Amino acid sequence: MVDNQNSGEEIRVGVYVCHCGGNISDVVNTAEVAEAMKVNPHVKVAKDFVFMCSDPGQNLIIEDIKANGINRVVVAACSPALHELTFRKALERAGLNPYLFEHVNVREQVSWVHKGYKNDATQKAIRLTMAGVEKVTLQDSLLPNSVPAEDRALVIGAGVAGLRAAIASAGAGLQVTVVEKAEKPGGRVPDLGVIYPSNSSGLEIVNALLDEVKTHPSISMLLHSEIDSIAGYVGNFIAKIRNCESGEISAVRAGAIIIATGYDNYTPADGEIGYGHSPDVITLPNFLNLIQSQKKDTHELMHNGKAIRNIGFVHCVGSRQVEGIHPPQADGKVNDYCSRVCCTSTLNAIHLMLDRFPDMNVYDLYRDIRTYGRGHEDYYDRASQRGVLFFRYTEDGLPEFMADKSGRGGLLNLTDTLSYDEEVSIPVDMVVLATGMMPRNISNIISMLKLPVGADRFLQEVHPKLRPVELANQGILVAGTCQGPMDIGESISAASATATRAKILLAHPTIELDPFVARVDENRCDGCALCLNECEYTGALTISESEKGPKAVVNPAICVGCGACAAVCPPRAIQIAGWSLDQFDAMVDAITA
Amino acid sequence: MNSSQEVETRDVLVIGAGIAGLQASLDLADQGRKVTLVERNPSIGGRMINLSKVFPTLDCASCITTPRMASTSHHPLITMRTYTEVVSIERVGDRFRAVLNKKPRFIDEQHCIGCKRCEEVCATYVPDEYEHGLGARKAISIPFTNAIPQYPVMDEKNCILCGACARVCPTNCIDFMQEPEEIVVDAGAVIMATGFNLTPLDAKNQYGKGMFPNVLSPLQAERLLAPHGPYGGVLRPSDGKIPESIAYVQCAGSRDKSLGVPYCSRVCCMYAIKQAMLLSGSLPMADITIYYMDIRAFGKGYEQFFCSAKDMGIEFVRAKVGRITEDADHNPIVRIEHQDTGIPEEVHHDMVVLSLGMVPTWNPLADGFVSLETSNDGFITSTSGALSPSKTSQPGIFAAGTALGPKDIVDTVVEASAAAADATAWLISHEKGNGNGR
Repeated sequence: MVDNQNSGEEIRVGVYVCHCGGNISDVVNTAEVAEAMKVNPHVKVAKDFVFMCSDPGQNLIIEDIKANGINRVVVAACSPALHELTFRKALERAGLNPYLFEHVNVREQVSWVHKGYKNDATQKAIRLTMAGVEKVTLQDSLLPNSVPAEDRALVIGAGVAGLRAAIASAGAGLQVTVVEKAEKPGGRVPDLGVIYPSNSSGLEIVNALLDEVKTHPSISMLLHSEIDSIAGYVGNFIAKIRNCESGEISAVRAGAIIIATGYDNYTPADGEIGYGHSPDVITLPNFLNLIQSQKKDTHELMHNGKAIRNIGFVHCVGSRQVEGIHPPQADGKVNDYCSRVCCTSTLNAIHLMLDRFPDMNVYDLYRDIRTYGRGHEDYYDRASQRGVLFFRYTEDGLPEFMADKSGRGGLLNLTDTLSYDEEVSIPVDMVVLATGMMPRNISNIISMLKLPVGADRFLQEVHPKLRPVELANQGILVAGTCQGPMDIGESISAASATATRAKILLAHPTIELDPFVARVDENRCDGCALCLNECEYTGALTISESEKGPKAVVNPAICVGCGACAAVCPPRAIQIAGWSLDQFDAMVDAITA
Repeated sequence: MNSSQEVETRDVLVIGAGIAGLQASLDLADQGRKVTLVERNPSIGGRMINLSKVFPTLDCASCITTPRMASTSHHPLITMRTYTEVVSIERVGDRFRAVLNKKPRFIDEQHCIGCKRCEEVCATYVPDEYEHGLGARKAISIPFTNAIPQYPVMDEKNCILCGACARVCPTNCIDFMQEPEEIVVDAGAVIMATGFNLTPLDAKNQYGKGMFPNVLSPLQAERLLAPHGPYGGVLRPSDGKIPESIAYVQCAGSRDKSLGVPYCSRVCCMYAIKQAMLLSGSLPMADITIYYMDIRAFGKGYEQFFCSAKDMGIEFVRAKVGRITEDADHNPIVRIEHQDTGIPEEVHHDMVVLSLGMVPTWNPLADGFVSLETSNDGFITSTSGALSPSKTSQPGIFAAGTALGPKDIVDTVVEASAAAADATAWLISHEKGNGNGR
């Protein structure tokens, strides 16, 4: 949308070059950049400052707008991803249309990548900043696109994260629909038994959450149901949900989507520390089930009809993997991340076992013990006190399991760095592999919504500190272990945080979207429809009949402003607001001047 | 003490304006809630604004903190109360009545324009808290470049009452007679975001009791690495030499029963790795060694960060440091026992950083009308555990960030938003209960 209130007035550009506290000014001569802008007749003010994003920095801009009639602003600083919004808000506070602003990146694109070449870096910064001046000179005032928003959150997954996200969203006043694939809600936590560090039961936690979900009038839950399709955009998503039994499809309209699809347990490779070759090598989740299923009257830990007296635990199975040492996953990558929960979870399991069977001999094989959380160190400390023997291995000396010829138990072999690299063989009846977390296969949802995935294959947030529970897709939030390994408390905090984000997003009946979308000059458009073939976003572009014949029409809520249409339009009739072809021409001229 | 007449009626009182308090305040205000944010220091921003760059993205800390500080100070629904302490909080029905003490800055905030002329003419230098003693500030000064608000504070303990500042002030706003002011806030909920302190540098006899000039705290090291730090580069304090060999001593303030800190402080491994990376960036020729027991790189992207530090040539040595001494030139000597070989060794370095841990800080509710349960570790108890981590022993009072135990920035920010969600749910349920729902 274009607002031509500024047309006809004199263009007065203010340029502000940020030192970023040395991040930029240690390499780029910021004063020289500011000075070089003054040759452009539109530039009325050009300054450099230590932190433009700080309050005093923003006030420089505001004062110049108010006192010196500046009506276009260029800030040469960090990446626009960090601070474009900060400065737009400053313009707004000064009473200027916030889109009469251009953010030039002279940190990531200049100072950080040209450290050894101060002079050349300064020259590059001058050209980029001048391009920003040329662009903003041709900039019109823009108004955000306002679209109506549903005050409903759709939560995908009813594990602890999904349940908490639902309760917190409803608690903030939103309507909530929870979709769960399984027949029962609760996810994986009920199977964990007694959980650390509270020593409470996973089932109790889930039941407490379920009680709240069931009694809250704003929450509805669709169990044994799958996402069939999702379309739409922030404020107006439409999800088709299929009931797995009846095949019936229902539609849910939601303003925001909270993804809480959880994790999968790592399955060890065939033969990894004996896994799959000996029935006495099991994973930690299997072991937690084994402990819970022991008969009440047994005095010894029983497995496959035999008593277990000597037991080994091996940490970091499926986590902290190293390329070339560990076998890769199906996609050719190894799990190079730490799964965060397995250290304390393993020690917790050892304590639960020793509480019932105190006479067992326990051997714990680790790389680093990561009992990082509040109260976790105590699990490690008490394990030593209870006689658990710790052995330490390194990534290039993985432990091996040699099954006994009798078919029962075997030897756990490793090079122990705690006893000066001694080769140790431990006779054990059973080995428990502390398997890590893997991202769940949610490829259907990822491809439907075009979600970003990190190198670790978990969903990738926008920024771990600035926007830790948001995905780049506006209106789509991420709660719990679909984002990366975390424990129950951490998942629940993340889930509550998504509710805060959803509520802020949907606090008003309408949402304002960026105006950088395609717009059509009806006088130039000849309705050739070449643009339609290029558009990747269903519904963003249509051809409709008008009095002047067929014309391209943009749905600004769906259009993302990618510019594919503009590239193919023969008469230059379709252009992106704020990124017109004239602006590109002017920028290229400035850079190549 | 002056007493303001009006009671500030707010939805939420947030105590502490570090990253947790800022995030929680913004999250509440963006939902239409009125917030009073109290900070006992002269500027908002907390510990984070003091850091150089932050793991695992190596973004500069200022770049991430300042926009939140600016948004907070401009938000129409947030009342910022800096240089103000909480005196007491009492429960009145479903609500809380807090008495705050606004300390005198000895300037008239209405008329101060932040021109810094008072600071320029002041003749008295004192060690700068913001630089952790590595630099000096004036007895009247704005705390740091990007402080919010940009008011100077007169340090009454060190001011010699020469009057130079008052003579030069263009708006005549220096007020030597300024009194503390009492502010009363009536709030529906409280969020404790009171943060942490470092374990003291001088706690351990074996590590020199803080007497060695080249044995630094990690926050001092942050300042050396900050682009606008006290020396404008990495120099060691005793003689200004560029250090060629730097060591980090892990668990110097944590996992140590002799210090009364048996727990893991959760961030020290990662900040040491981060500082080591930054050091090797600014001093490419320096040898950097990290002496450790376990490397706890548990968060998202942290293990990968650790691996890239190893690839950069930072040396990780599995050893507990038994003792630190120094030679006549103040070169620290680190006595270690190698875990891999059992062999003791004395290693000379130019500079040593003790990876100190986190301990609880200011608890304004310790002696007030309402008090909060704390655990053995001294941090506020999270009474509902995993089910609702921000809940405390007092219904309606929530906590976030390092007030609940050691935590990194990523986890703190998430928890602050979670506390905002819990406070919102509490407010809505009480509004409904009173029949005055929104």
